[in-house]
Amino acid sequence: MTINHSEITSSARRVLIHVDGKPIEAWEGQTVAAALWSAGRRQLRRTSRFEQPRGLFCGMGVCFDCLMQINGRPNVQACRIEVEDAMDVRTQQGPGTWGEAS
Amino acid sequence: MMRRDAVIIGAGPAGMSAAIAMAEAGLKPTVIDENAQTGGQIYRQRPSTRNHRAAPSHNGVVADRGADLRRRFDAVSDRIELLCNRQVWGIFESNRLAVTAPHRWQMIEAEHLLLAPGAYEYVPPFPGWTLPGVLTPGAAQIMTKTQAVLPGQRVLVAGTGPFLLVVAAALHEAGVNVLGVVEAVSRAELLRCGWRLFADLGLLREGGGYLRKLRRAGIPIYDGRIIVGASGDGEVSHVKFAACDRSWRPKKNRSQVIEVDTLCVGYGFVPRTELAQLAGCQLRWSNELGGWIPLIDAGQQTTVRGVWAAGDGAGVAGALVAQEEGTLAGLAMARQLGAIDDDCFEARRRPVVRRLARLRRFRAALDSLSRIRVGLDELCTDETIVCRCEELTQTEIDKGIDAGNNDLRSLKVATRLGMGPCQGRMCAPAMARHLAWRTGQAMDQSTPLQVRPPIVPLTLGDLAEPVSMDLPVQEQMLRETIA
Repeated sequence: MTINHSEITSSARRVLIHVDGKPIEAWEGQTVAAALWSAGRRQLRRTSRFEQPRGLFCGMGVCFDCLMQINGRPNVQACRIEVEDAMDVRTQQGPGTWGEAS
Repeated sequence: MMRRDAVIIGAGPAGMSAAIAMAEAGLKPTVIDENAQTGGQIYRQRPSTRNHRAAPSHNGVVADRGADLRRRFDAVSDRIELLCNRQVWGIFESNRLAVTAPHRWQMIEAEHLLLAPGAYEYVPPFPGWTLPGVLTPGAAQIMTKTQAVLPGQRVLVAGTGPFLLVVAAALHEAGVNVLGVVEAVSRAELLRCGWRLFADLGLLREGGGYLRKLRRAGIPIYDGRIIVGASGDGEVSHVKFAACDRSWRPKKNRSQVIEVDTLCVGYGFVPRTELAQLAGCQLRWSNELGGWIPLIDAGQQTTVRGVWAAGDGAGVAGALVAQEEGTLAGLAMARQLGAIDDDCFEARRRPVVRRLARLRRFRAALDSLSRIRVGLDELCTDETIVCRCEELTQTEIDKGIDAGNNDLRSLKVATRLGMGPCQGRMCAPAMARHLAWRTGQAMDQSTPLQVRPPIVPLTLGDLAEPVSMDLPVQEQMLRETIA
């Protein structure tokens, strides 16, 4: 649902990440949260108590609402970590669990 | 352990200005920042790894100011030790800083320490505010400016303060359909108090410029109105706002609903005080300056000797004030360290103090307009989540208060308020006001939640790996960082 700036992205290197097993293309230097937002994925985790979806909120690492499981590690702030080739990104359920890094 | 004469935490406008003042005085300050580059939030740069051609500047004046500050910083950068991508997770006795390094950590002892951590946006709870697609104006700006992603196609910008105009204009220029700006302060009130804004004609003109830009684009300003709720199935799809009185209490019969895909909402800024608290600085409450702030003297020194504070983290007043305060602190620290004598200090300080006085008069007028009012505290329903991390509802918090927990610390113990990963940064400022309004206490009687290290997430694995105390290794790391 979101548009890219063509003038910014035209010369950037592309990176392929896996989000819940699905490939998503991103631009080098983008954060995971921005890459997912750009691909129309705004729900990044589900909460423990009411199982509600949450997404990017403060965008600067203060609110801890964009927590995801990234390369097997839970509770990673998607707004602070930059995409890397073949990164394994998963929607975090509740408090999150340690998983296998791909 | 690394020892340094002067360490600055934060490379935003205040930290950069302090570093420039100290480097020009012949010192070699160390600057630590959690981001990959200097600039802080306001002068944030695009990731350097992305090798794109320069995009047109989306907020002219501010971007120019950032570029100017960076030029001055770069001119003395051979005398500045810049440690990026580092977070200070603890401050221990005699200004020993625990600093993260990638997957490890190190200790840096600072003889003089300047805290310039900046601020974050104030978003008090309202129904629907946890829905994905509801985010702060700052988050939308970062996404547009540095991430090459537009936050939405139908975006409403809401809250209070001139930053909303800056973000709305930037989003519009980037190609977003900005549906409007919902500003809680009414035009009538602005006109009544607005004469005081003439304290700084340049800044007044700058604000007028943003307003004209929005008018030309046909973006409506809904003044004297307040967001009362957001709704949607899994993501925000509708936002309701209503006309409000001077206390920002909504008039129920004068509301409207619009369809959006994104809501940017923020009511000013909150100073980041975790580091000041870790350093043992005494705090005071200031309505005008955004909440709790470290108590400082005329030279920006806190109540702890050798610990200084400047910029929005010492009281929200914007980037221009931050730069002047940073310079003041830098000069005062340089004098303490014997790098400049009293005469030189006085001569360099005088013009800064003069500029600060004018800027502060302008800010005072702005702050009195944008002050947080009681209507904002009355938007929650019983089920509205007020603590985003622990998912506590308004009812649960009120039960805790009514059971006699009439300060934040006992409320935390009773309800788990602020115990989640954000450590109360999101909920505590709003809940402190809620507590005061519900119990009739004065805000200056309130105390903030306590802060304990680590203030940034660390795994036990990270903690188990301190960087070797071996100096060559540390210097190797520094060389890598500076390179």
